[in-house]
Amino acid sequence: MRTARRISQIVFFLFFIFLFLITRYPYEHGITTEIFLRFSPLSPVFMFIKDLKINLLFLPALIILFFTVFFGRFFCGWICPLGTLLDISGKIVKSPLNRISEKWQKLRYLKFALLIGLLILALFSVHIWGYFDPLSIFNRALTIVFYPLATLFAEKALLALSNVSFLEDPAYWLYDQFKYAIMPENQAHYQQLFWIALFIFLILIAEKLSRRFWCRYLCPAGALLSFLSQFRFYERIVGEQCPACNKCQIECKMNAIPQDDVGYTNKVECIECFNCGATCPPKYNAITYRWRWTPYRTSVDYSRRRFLGTSVASITALGLLGVGIKNKEAINQQVRPPGSLTEEDFKDKCIRCMECVRICASNGACLQPSGIQSSIADLWLPIAEMRTGYCEYNCNQCGQVCPTEAILPLTLAQKKKTPMGLAYFDKNLCIPFARNEDCIVCEEHCPTSEKAIKFDIRDFTDPKTGQTRKVKYPYVIKELCIGCGICVYKCPLEGKPAIFVTIENQKRPTSSDILKS
Amino acid sequence: MKRRQFIRSISLGTAGISLLPVLGNKLLYGSGQFPQAVWVENGEPEQLLKRALQEFGGLKRFIKKGDVVVIKPNIGWDRPPELAANTNPHLVAALVKACKEAGAKKVKIFDRTCNNPQRCYRNSQIQKWAEKAGAKVEHIRPNRFKKITIDGNIVKEWLIYRDYLEADKVINVPIAKHHSLSLVTLGLKNLMGVMGDNRGLIHNNFAEKLTDIDRKILPTLTIIDAYRILTANGPVGGNPKDVKLTKTLILSDCTVSADNLALSLFGLKLEDVPHIKMAYEKGLAKYDPGKLTVRRVTLG
Repeated sequence: MRTARRISQIVFFLFFIFLFLITRYPYEHGITTEIFLRFSPLSPVFMFIKDLKINLLFLPALIILFFTVFFGRFFCGWICPLGTLLDISGKIVKSPLNRISEKWQKLRYLKFALLIGLLILALFSVHIWGYFDPLSIFNRALTIVFYPLATLFAEKALLALSNVSFLEDPAYWLYDQFKYAIMPENQAHYQQLFWIALFIFLILIAEKLSRRFWCRYLCPAGALLSFLSQFRFYERIVGEQCPACNKCQIECKMNAIPQDDVGYTNKVECIECFNCGATCPPKYNAITYRWRWTPYRTSVDYSRRRFLGTSVASITALGLLGVGIKNKEAINQQVRPPGSLTEEDFKDKCIRCMECVRICASNGACLQPSGIQSSIADLWLPIAEMRTGYCEYNCNQCGQVCPTEAILPLTLAQKKKTPMGLAYFDKNLCIPFARNEDCIVCEEHCPTSEKAIKFDIRDFTDPKTGQTRKVKYPYVIKELCIGCGICVYKCPLEGKPAIFVTIENQKRPTSSDILKS
Repeated sequence: MKRRQFIRSISLGTAGISLLPVLGNKLLYGSGQFPQAVWVENGEPEQLLKRALQEFGGLKRFIKKGDVVVIKPNIGWDRPPELAANTNPHLVAALVKACKEAGAKKVKIFDRTCNNPQRCYRNSQIQKWAEKAGAKVEHIRPNRFKKITIDGNIVKEWLIYRDYLEADKVINVPIAKHHSLSLVTLGLKNLMGVMGDNRGLIHNNFAEKLTDIDRKILPTLTIIDAYRILTANGPVGGNPKDVKLTKTLILSDCTVSADNLALSLFGLKLEDVPHIKMAYEKGLAKYDPGKLTVRRVTLG
């Protein structure tokens, strides 16, 4: 069974990474790559609180939840890619034995507290569970940290090798293969890299404190599954012949076997890794796994007192989240992906998984994880940064890959008519206005079929020389501009661009809009 | 007259007579046996190209066996061929085949795109058809720009793509389009696709800067794709109404002359277009615009 579990872990891990890698232009393979984010057990619950209806989008998660009642936390042990990553990390940093990590045991309630806290916040219509969703964390780390890191290294290394004369051809050959199979898009660089990297680093390095530290003490998805697996029907049975050598207890990933009673399994903690069965010495062969219709119950390590504490903490958090600087200027610059729901709904539904950011990198590359701008919950929402990228006119892929439909899957025709914002010139900087010389690079790139940037041709008489020349002075037509930001991206000024996009004129659909059309 | 003398004069005479047609051609076309530019119209891209090359004396005039040839089409935009923002993919493919037939060892195609390169290469269909025809279609590699001395009136040095500089022969294949800054984009403007750095900076004092750089990187041949031309909202376009089906191809070994000829498609004159006018003034043209010999052919 342990071998089967390991194979399952590897298969799911590679499958998720494969899905991640093919989340890119041209995206015509017909696979909905965001499906793996819908494996997250939390998503149907929180989406139910949000929409008050069971959303079949989250069918994979619903299936997992259903089977958890009978089989326990198999998701954590067999499927969750973050769990697999933690196992790998644990091997590298050498997690201590359960005997030593025992001291953290009292923190087990934390994951329940976190889950309940997030649920309370959700009931008050503040959805920030996405920050702690294990699949979201995994995809976020892949998109912002691991993939850019790996590809940056590979790309730079191969290009550096190509500068060595005799290696030029093989290096370029490798480079082409690499570009073809793994990384066809340009290297993406993300803001918020430091904090997202720190977040995943802390989760991974916590393996130094105990095996599966995150899963044992913090993961809200694990907590939810724990609640469901109190009566798990599939049980570990320890036979009479057990000499209590405690080998299984030592090997238990979750420390779900008590030291003084190896016959008992803590069902809410056990993730069914089957290490216990595999380590039981063959001469005893005391551990078997069986289905029983009369299971014993393990209660959740979460008292009423703790619940009260959690409630108080979450109400405080609720208040803190409500207190923002409400920076109007920052809010005005928060350009969201085309097809994003109205800001309130968008914030509630977005799980900060970075799937849109990932696919945007292979297109216009404007989407970035946002920092805290006007309130704390702004953190890591996708934001269109037009100076580092732009929204590709013929692209609607961010909506197609959003796992929670925070960004609606607009058709290309719909997307082209959905303004993200409106461009304004900064005439103090713009070359024609500042220096009375032609430029209009912005107009050249403007992609709408009738250009949203037009220009006046006016005479300018140079006071020094007395010569008169014709200069093209650009301006924006509000009705035509869709806020794609290519003008900002291409503005030839070295630093601050002379044109910028605000959220003015943005069109944010509600869910019912899309159903109508 | 002695017999020997007679034979000598007779043979000289025959030689002279047999050379007459050649001399005649020379008189007719100025410097060479062939026209200085060809204008073919009313045909599909492949037919236009075939005829134009034939009238121009075949590609073998320019391409030697074993040459590495760079074809520089316009792949600048994420647009399908029907919208006339990029060079016609079938023309590019036919040209690749012609180069291979003329003995080219390798045909490379690239362009520094304005939109996402993958999207442009794919949506323009140039990647697909050119690769089928046997070309190597590559994205611009960031480490392959080389700073070259320009010493122009304004531009002193600029980054140019190395593969372009190192090619034995270069064929520039622009599409004829409207352009708001330069009025039209043709051969001279299309060469911006091999320039590195912040190209937006070329846009002020455009005519002077463009001709400064172009002077150093003029191609072997220029073939202007005017099968479909974009008459407004260029260079990106997007509205089918702005596309005009003109079914024309212009070929010359002088970029400036080819550009000058193409102006008539847009109803423009040389005086209207500063960058082409300046190219003449700064001596980028091989041929005098007044004395240009053009072979005009209408197919069909």
